[in-house]
Amino acid sequence: MAGSALRRLMAEYKQLTLDPPEGIVAGPVSEDNFFEWEALIAGPEGTCFEGGVFPARLVFPPDYPLSPPKMKFTCDMFHPNIFADGRVCISILHAPGDDPLGYELSAERWSPVQSVEKILLSVVSMLAEPNDESGANVDAAIMWRERREEFNSIARRLVRKTLGLAT
Amino acid sequence: MQLLISSVCMALTSAVIGNAYFQKQQFYPAVVYITKSNASMAVIYIQFFVIVFMFGKLLRKIFLGTLRAAEFEHLLERFWYALTETCLAFTVFRDDFNPQFVALFTVLLFLKSFHWLAEERVDYMERSPVLGWLFHIRVGSLLTMLGILDYLLLIHAYNSTLVRGPTVQLVFGFEYAILLTVIASTTIKYVLHAAEMRTDTPWENKAVFLLYTELVIGLIKVVLYLLFVVIMAKIYALPMFVFRPMFFTIRNFRKALNDVIMSRRAIRNMNTLYPDATPEELRLSDNICIICREDMVNHSKKLPCGHIFHTTCLRSWFQRQQTCPTCRLNILRTPAVNSVAMPRAADDAAGAGAAGANAAAGAGGAQPAGNDDPNAVAAAAAAAAAAALDLDGNMGRARRPGVNGATTFSELFAEANRLPNGLPNLGIPRPPIPPMPMLSPFMMPPHFAYFTPPPLPPPPMPQDLSRFSDDELRAMEGDQRKHIEQRLKLLGNINLMLDSVGIMMNQYQTLTARLQLAAGPSTSTPAAPPATGDATESPAPAAETAASAAETASPSVYDMPSTSAAARNQQEEARQLKTAAGLGSGVAVVAAGNGAERVTIEDLGADEDDVPFTATKSQSLGNSEAEVDDNSSKLNELRERRLKFLQDNNKTANGSEKTTSE
Repeated sequence: MAGSALRRLMAEYKQLTLDPPEGIVAGPVSEDNFFEWEALIAGPEGTCFEGGVFPARLVFPPDYPLSPPKMKFTCDMFHPNIFADGRVCISILHAPGDDPLGYELSAERWSPVQSVEKILLSVVSMLAEPNDESGANVDAAIMWRERREEFNSIARRLVRKTLGLAT
Repeated sequence: MQLLISSVCMALTSAVIGNAYFQKQQFYPAVVYITKSNASMAVIYIQFFVIVFMFGKLLRKIFLGTLRAAEFEHLLERFWYALTETCLAFTVFRDDFNPQFVALFTVLLFLKSFHWLAEERVDYMERSPVLGWLFHIRVGSLLTMLGILDYLLLIHAYNSTLVRGPTVQLVFGFEYAILLTVIASTTIKYVLHAAEMRTDTPWENKAVFLLYTELVIGLIKVVLYLLFVVIMAKIYALPMFVFRPMFFTIRNFRKALNDVIMSRRAIRNMNTLYPDATPEELRLSDNICIICREDMVNHSKKLPCGHIFHTTCLRSWFQRQQTCPTCRLNILRTPAVNSVAMPRAADDAAGAGAAGANAAAGAGGAQPAGNDDPNAVAAAAAAAAAAALDLDGNMGRARRPGVNGATTFSELFAEANRLPNGLPNLGIPRPPIPPMPMLSPFMMPPHFAYFTPPPLPPPPMPQDLSRFSDDELRAMEGDQRKHIEQRLKLLGNINLMLDSVGIMMNQYQTLTARLQLAAGPSTSTPAAPPATGDATESPAPAAETAASAAETASPSVYDMPSTSAAARNQQEEARQLKTAAGLGSGVAVVAAGNGAERVTIEDLGADEDDVPFTATKSQSLGNSEAEVDDNSSKLNELRERRLKFLQDNNKTANGSEKTTSE
């Protein structure tokens, strides 16, 4: 009998394959290792990220779902809640107890009830509505707040880049 | 790259050796020439490291196969830390710095890295879907080999320390002892994982075993580190190089200890307080445990907030956090709060034989149809717990006078609970705990019983005082300062408890008044008395409690298992039952009245079932049959009204409930 983490990941994979949410594709990088997934997230419509397809990588801990996975965009991203190296900073990905930026409520934190699908949906909504108070990328947060036009143009350039178009 | 380095190294070494031979033509002079020349020695040393590295690769190929990316990353990271620490260690032992010393450290690092790799491999077991026999052979032989090597080196270090006094071997002995503990924990983990793999069902207790392994190994490590630091500080200097690992070890140990304590508490709560989910409840929910996303067939628990999970999943989650995964209700806070409602549930369980049947009969009589009795008791417990919790939560917001007293109600109970045990050196055997199953010692109910002594003022001293020796009697006198302090504390607690009871009564009364208004004035008047009558009785004995308890500092401590005491116990139980029922229903209604969310009709029905039970019980106290019948008919009326009220209430509450459950 395989570990419970593996079984749960398999169940989630099945669920995501059978009934994928719109704009999200996710699955293990290889069938040998269910603890590393890659995901493709479509930029939400009506936002500056519209039309883009952003690849990301999820790494699950051995004790998933008791601990949250880590998520990292593998393309260039410019967003208030994404670190420069692509790591996503949203409260759902933080285990209660550790609070990197010291503002999150424990009610928004990771719990086994969450899932890959919910994480990805949260990321989509994060793309649509950045939380400029968290400030994983302070430059982006300030630009988003004060110079929205500039931010939008950078975002659109990123979108074109992910699609392999010339900038 | 590696190939290049090693081939360059090989070439250099052969050049050095060839040069020596060419110059000296003979073996011994050549060796002497090489050892005298620093440059040659440097080349030889580098060659030595390269050989060690290659040997390591070979061993890795044999025992581990190809490393995964993550394994390699971790290895590299840990290796650099270890290297830094080794360099720090060199500074302490700079006096006996020589090639042999460096060689020993190299061997240590070499072995260490294999320990890490073995650890990683065993951790990986849990994640990989299939593992062949090759994996088991490799891991098994690697662990055995490392264990034997550690042991031999430890023995060697020990012997050399004994013979030559404290040298650098002390450090090695210590390091190998630590590595042995690592091997021990890895082996245990391996065995546990392997055992789980052999079975087809998830193994429930594995997480517990793992946690305890971690705790024990952590303790051993902490002791070893502390010992080492003390010894080193005495003989040499403060060993800076172990501070980092020591810090991590201590932190892990603390975490493990905390986890063990908290999870034990939460799990005990779960096992004792929360009911198993019934098939009915499973059918009503979507029947999938949201933690593991698998069907719940059996072994599932319902938390006081109404969420249902696998017992095993909850158990492993409680090792991390003691909250409901869905709504984050704190599981540890509930037992204290539950104490308000629990006596009743406990009594239900205790009287499951005779009185339980009574209750069921009473319930059947009171409400002939539509009530599923087997579930009723469990549901009542859950409902009462939830209601009590809601009360606790809502009280803070209620802005009623004296609310402060009420919010600390649970703490009070918890504290009062400890007090009877607070007089340990009286030299008198504790009275046997009344036979209530499924109660752990830290739970409230058994002690709660001590706090409701008989209704009449005479303090309940055991009749046969002759049984005590003089010393015991003197101890009972309790004229020491701490006894008096305990009594005063007890009195203070009782005072606070009384206040809170008063508040609850107030709430109850206002709510019944509101209920009556809601139901219409014509039928309301006859129904109210039984419940309020029941409940208003409670403060009076409680007040007497204050008096008598003050005199004797928890009289029941002196309780002897004589028959009269037993009889009185029963009386107490009955009375307490009444109080509890009064409070419990009061609480339920309060919760409902505050628009609080979680009281369902089914629960309330179950809740009511207990009242006839108390009625039958109180019969033994002298109530007449007629009164009981009267009571039950009145209760029926009251129930109907409440049902209606709740139905309305539920409609509004349902909306918010849905959002929370999502």
